[in-house]
Amino acid sequence: MGREAEERAPKGVGLSANVCYPLRMPGYSVGLPRLHKEAGERRDFLPPLIEFLDRVGAESIVVEEGYGSGMGVPLSEYLAASPRCRVGTLAECYAQQVVVALRCPDEALLRTLKPGTTLLSMLHFPTRPARVRLLAELGLHAVSLDSVKDDLGNRLVQNMASVGWNGIRASFGELAKTLRDFFEPRRRPIRVTVLGSGAVGGHAAHAAIRYGDPALRSRLTRQGVPGVEVTMIDYELTGDERYMLTRLEHTDLLVDATQRPDPSRVVIPNDWVAALPQHAVVLDLAVDPYALDGNPPSTKGIEGVPEGNLDRYVFGPQDPAYDALDPRVGHRHRRTALSCYSWPGVEPKPCMEVYGAQIEPVLRALVATGVERLDPDKGPFYERATARAELKYWRKNP
Amino acid sequence: MKKTIGLPRMHKEAGERRDFLPEFVLKLVTQGHPVLIEHGLGSGIGLDDAAYTRLSPLVSVGDRPQAYQQDVVLVLRTPEVEEYEGLLRPGSILISMLHFNTRPRRIRKLQEMGVDAISLDSLTDDQGQRLVENTRAVGWNGLETAFAALEEDSPGRLAAGGPPIRVTVMGSGAVGKNAVEAATKYGSRGRAEAWGARGVPGVEVTTVGRTLTADPEYLRARFAQTEILVDATQRPDASRPLIPNAWLGWLPPHAIVCDLVVDPYVPSGTPPTVRSLEGIPRGDLDQWTFRPDDPKWLRTIPEGVPTEQRRTTVSCYSWPGIHPEECMRHYGRQLWTILQRLLSRGGVEGLSENSETFLDRVLYRASVRSWTPGDAENPPARL
Repeated sequence: MGREAEERAPKGVGLSANVCYPLRMPGYSVGLPRLHKEAGERRDFLPPLIEFLDRVGAESIVVEEGYGSGMGVPLSEYLAASPRCRVGTLAECYAQQVVVALRCPDEALLRTLKPGTTLLSMLHFPTRPARVRLLAELGLHAVSLDSVKDDLGNRLVQNMASVGWNGIRASFGELAKTLRDFFEPRRRPIRVTVLGSGAVGGHAAHAAIRYGDPALRSRLTRQGVPGVEVTMIDYELTGDERYMLTRLEHTDLLVDATQRPDPSRVVIPNDWVAALPQHAVVLDLAVDPYALDGNPPSTKGIEGVPEGNLDRYVFGPQDPAYDALDPRVGHRHRRTALSCYSWPGVEPKPCMEVYGAQIEPVLRALVATGVERLDPDKGPFYERATARAELKYWRKNP
Repeated sequence: MKKTIGLPRMHKEAGERRDFLPEFVLKLVTQGHPVLIEHGLGSGIGLDDAAYTRLSPLVSVGDRPQAYQQDVVLVLRTPEVEEYEGLLRPGSILISMLHFNTRPRRIRKLQEMGVDAISLDSLTDDQGQRLVENTRAVGWNGLETAFAALEEDSPGRLAAGGPPIRVTVMGSGAVGKNAVEAATKYGSRGRAEAWGARGVPGVEVTTVGRTLTADPEYLRARFAQTEILVDATQRPDASRPLIPNAWLGWLPPHAIVCDLVVDPYVPSGTPPTVRSLEGIPRGDLDQWTFRPDDPKWLRTIPEGVPTEQRRTTVSCYSWPGIHPEECMRHYGRQLWTILQRLLSRGGVEGLSENSETFLDRVLYRASVRSWTPGDAENPPARL
């Protein structure tokens, strides 16, 4: 169905749950494999997405065995969402015409996809040139969810708020253990220092003022416990050693929300970590990897913080993860540190509610128009946004 | 038959220089829509009528009433409700910042008259995010002005080698977030580069929320070391000031107060509403910087409100408007896709929350047809 037809679609045909779509593309099949990155990865799309796919005319929807189990959602709820939904193996999911997986499958799985398959995933084209080449070689129609942007360049599939909120909530959980008078009305305000003032830093500050947990904030406020003071600094000050050492001395929670132009240079050398009080907690929201020999090389903004993931993202000072770091990374000075490759995944269900709602119009644009006919300039709003996120467009306009 | 478009000027204050730009008008005429501009459109930013009329024979010039008589009237700030009868035509579409959620009279009048109004501030996506907004300009323009006042009042404070400049931001919502980012760059990226090269000290921005702004002991210490105080709060209770005037006396004498909230005093309201920072003037596009001895300090403050404690204050009812061209380019880009959809479907007839396309749902939510004005007990709400 072309875009003209979409604009003229009959009244009452819509996205909301109480509206039925006509069958648009008979034979159209969708695979929803689980994410197999790590055991702690519990995210899968939720049953409302299956209902949606049913409404937009998917003839067959295959969810992998165990789908939703990480979030306690039984398979029966997926099956109940559509008579066209069935349970299949990982291989069966990857054999469908459209494959939807939040995180990019590894190379071996990508190679199992048939040419012409449409893959929707966070593919991060700008920073993964090898992946772009592979996807093109395999003849896939790949739509990178992180590249779906409106006409002004704003991402339409993103969850930066939960990066800030989930990281801050977990950090206050740790600080409540290390700061003895955390719950005492007589204590001074808690001091949070955020490095970086961009979008993630903004969400982190917003969350930190609320302890990452509005209910906890209300309770502490009722009990007369002083609040949280958040100080944000950017690169104009982070390079000033004298200033920084004083600031760190007065910091209970240090947050890295920087976006460094040169990821090979640290913001807080490990020696400076020594200036933090012993009870201080360090939170890594930037989650850059240690790739000292990479091209380009990269390291974490706060030197010595271990790399975390959804299996483990809290590291006490004695954690063996510190000793496992590359010896070239300074890690002598340690505090309780939190780092997670995927902060939104810490709260999987709310995360997938957000992503599910955000990808519906993307899928709809694909179904309505067909991936090969998406127009980045003249189509309707979501068609343009989706077209710009497609591999073919990206390769021409990197 | 293509809809005709009217672009009136805004006559709120002399300093209001914003008008839709020729580049925006060009898009409309390229799609075949006749556009009637009010004589003098764009004059605030140095444009004459010919800057528009030379774009296409479809552009004509008229007076204010003529601009309001077109099929679709697009004006950023709405006329007063009392003017609607004389200006608007039943069946026409008025697109403007109409703030339905706080303006029941407006809703009632527009519905009575059968005007299909679209409120720019109610154009939201399915998650409730505003699609036509400029909170970024509120934060950045406000801080740009605050740092300009600091430079003018205390040039020595910007000397190389001094301690960091300390900014306190009250509130961490959308405006507060932009204010924080802007503050770390002295209110402007260009200035950050130039001042950085001069060795001007960096900026330390501290954000505080409701718990701490209600704690006078804490605030006394915080204010004592604050050089720019930014109000970006959203108060649950507008009948009481957040910061009593006496507390402003805790700020150093050279401190700048930056008001991004710009709520008005409404002494006749039920209950009466007061400003968040007690005793500061409310500026507009004619004047946004007020020094303590400014004879106009009291112009917007009702009698009886304490004003003894004064610091240089920057306040503007419409912060985005201080850079009119940039502001209108921004709004034009944000609005174009939505307007295009409205014009291509010929109006808002037949829309609903369940409409097929994203943009139709957006239009429905912003249409006066989807709002009820409420009553004495209930505020306006979407149907």
